[in-house]
Amino acid sequence: MSLLEVVNVYKLFVGREVLKNICLDVRRGEILSVIGPSGAGKTTLLKLMNLLLYPDRGKIFFDGVDTEVDEKRRRVLRREMGMVFQHPALFDTTVFNNVALGLMIRGFPKKEIEKRVEDALNYVGLKGFAKRKASSLSAGEAQRVSLARALVLEPKLLLLDEPTANLDPANVLQIEETVRRVNSEKGVTVVIATHNLLQAKRLSDRVAFLWMGELVEVGESKEVFENPKSERTALYLSGKVVY
Amino acid sequence: MAGWEEVFYGLVKAVELIFSGDPDVVQITILSLRVSGLATLIGGALGIPLGALVALRTFRGKTLVVSVINTLMGLPPVLVGLVYYILLSSTGPLGFLRLLYTPEAMILAQLTMVLPIAAGVTISSVSTIDPKLREVAVSLGANPLQETAILLWEARVGLLTALVVGFGAAISEVGAIMIVGGNLLGYTRALTTAIVLLTNQGEFVEAIALGIILLALAFLVNAILTLIQMRSRSSLFAQTYTREPQFKR
Amino acid sequence: MTASIVFFTTNPTSTTRSRLVIATTTSTVDSGLLDYLKPYFDKRFDADMTWLYLGTGQAIAVASRGDADILLVHDRAREDAFLASGNGTHRATVMYNDFVIIGPANDPANIRGAGGAVEAFKRIAEAGRSGKTLFVSRGDNSGTHALEMKIWSAAGLDPRERGWYMEAGQGMSSTIRISSEKQAYTLSDRGTWVKLKSALGEALRLQILFEGDKTLLNPYGLILLNPVKYPKINSELAEKFFLFMVSKEGQRLIESYRVAGEQIFFPAFGKAEDIGLPSEEEEVRYWIKRLSENGLEPPPWVKQR
Repeated sequence: MSLLEVVNVYKLFVGREVLKNICLDVRRGEILSVIGPSGAGKTTLLKLMNLLLYPDRGKIFFDGVDTEVDEKRRRVLRREMGMVFQHPALFDTTVFNNVALGLMIRGFPKKEIEKRVEDALNYVGLKGFAKRKASSLSAGEAQRVSLARALVLEPKLLLLDEPTANLDPANVLQIEETVRRVNSEKGVTVVIATHNLLQAKRLSDRVAFLWMGELVEVGESKEVFENPKSERTALYLSGKVVY
Repeated sequence: MAGWEEVFYGLVKAVELIFSGDPDVVQITILSLRVSGLATLIGGALGIPLGALVALRTFRGKTLVVSVINTLMGLPPVLVGLVYYILLSSTGPLGFLRLLYTPEAMILAQLTMVLPIAAGVTISSVSTIDPKLREVAVSLGANPLQETAILLWEARVGLLTALVVGFGAAISEVGAIMIVGGNLLGYTRALTTAIVLLTNQGEFVEAIALGIILLALAFLVNAILTLIQMRSRSSLFAQTYTREPQFKR
Repeated sequence: MTASIVFFTTNPTSTTRSRLVIATTTSTVDSGLLDYLKPYFDKRFDADMTWLYLGTGQAIAVASRGDADILLVHDRAREDAFLASGNGTHRATVMYNDFVIIGPANDPANIRGAGGAVEAFKRIAEAGRSGKTLFVSRGDNSGTHALEMKIWSAAGLDPRERGWYMEAGQGMSSTIRISSEKQAYTLSDRGTWVKLKSALGEALRLQILFEGDKTLLNPYGLILLNPVKYPKINSELAEKFFLFMVSKEGQRLIESYRVAGEQIFFPAFGKAEDIGLPSEEEEVRYWIKRLSENGLEPPPWVKQR
């Protein structure tokens, strides 16, 4: 059953087609990787999924609901998702405030917020970090806060845009572990955009290969990696073609 | 008395006036604080949201609006005073309000000067916030009002600076409040206008004394700002944490 | 309103002419008399007459520091003190103007029919106390203010710290405008009043309600600064100005000056007793001598001595 459906979506930036005719289903409870070189349109696709952008053509359905509605209703839908960007983008305040922000926006009571934030921080391995200033964190810690910020909202869909691109291996594995857990323990559907093929292999159930704005291939992870249907996919996976 | 003696005696007199609690001086000081304080608060309360609005929205003529606000930041106070005088005088369009020669008129004139400062600095502070943060706020489900509030909080040090600068300008202003206030003893006499009067009377020692009190007030407010600024900068910035600085100082 | 030097020269870059700096009051400058006298003085003595626009207290302070060449004010007590301190060597009453009590047209204190200025003030105080009216004072220790306080004290009143009495702490024009806004009474020199009234017309909602009392006469003292104490001042030109002001020509010019068709100043050299002031005979005789030594004529009413 699809949580998110992208149907014949096109996106243009300054006249250039950044995404062409994308048809993609995101199944409930799965971890889907979107792979492809930089500039392929991965970020744009994720932003469209997070309803931060409107498609120029085509439609996106979230949980069966047509998302081509006014901003007010999109906001309601957006509150069921969480997104982690490539750069942590934390606010100049404490870790607690950063993680709690989404809850405060939704008007949760104070006690509830405190509990949820504590749980989220523990979940990402940042127990006791609540009072630290965001600006004092290392890159890995900051990104984990970013993740906690998304998780604390208990979203149905978690979108990650190259979340570990700038991190050291230890932090990469830490975050991957958390993503895996949240998917298996809490059933959160995950879409992760990455150009780290090994990471995609490690994490995902299914893989979608995006190349120059086009969805070249989608399939079960094992299938795509071992028996890619498209030659282009094969070239990319073998590392022979980088862009 | 040669010049420096007067400064020295002025210092002595200032201490004397402060500690003796001379009622006139107390009254004048309180009026200055009240007028400039309210002007700053109201000017800020109006100017900051205005600045946020301009900074966060795109609309036709945005560049023009920003230029106008920046120009208004340098409004000559005495001109503001003159315009309000013409408006508020009994023969003027707003004469029926009977505001002329009241502290309220002084507040009005000064907040007119603080408002563009608050708006201008807000525009600059908010515009230089990392656009990714804006995305984050929206992604977290913030509505436009919440988004604005979040960004204003993020820019808070810059905004506070704007208020302190605005207050400093207001409390040392003399032309506008002289014209619309009338320097009436017990009603509209502030530190700056009192200094003018004392100077006119040749009472330089007292004038310097009041000037020292004025300086002390301005210094106090600035000290508070510096403390706040330093506290917010004391945390170190992470090395690989790629975030542009909020505002260049 | 710190000391501002007002240049009314047609030749601003002229350095060949000798410059005179007069320390005088805002009322004097506002009346326009000095502008009127300047071309005559400048031509006669090949000079550049300039003046400082100050409050009375400041004018005296400036003169005491030797920052001006000559002093022209209207506050007898302080003029005498100035001489007594040795800062000034010669002083003469050169002219007087008069003060008027102005107020709202409906005259709530009913001073129109008062017998004298003192009684008028008493009536204003009474009306003020019963909440019917207000009085706005210069409140700046100026010559005008000093005269006002003299009248209050002659009436046996101390008007300060009463709700109906306001102190503006400013010059005459501003004080008048404040009075108009508040529909209050105030004491003004005739010159400033006439000028402002002719400029603002109906916008100035006040009228002269009382005038003509001897207590409302405002004599001006011209004081020569001590050249020994202030060696850097232009004492030569200052003395020439003194001679000019007490001469027939100067006194006649003072008399002929008009504001909106009204005579504001009245020559007073050698007329001290006539206007109720102590005799200045010695001083007058000194200047008659100096005038003749400089080839200048004294005013006709003085010639007989």
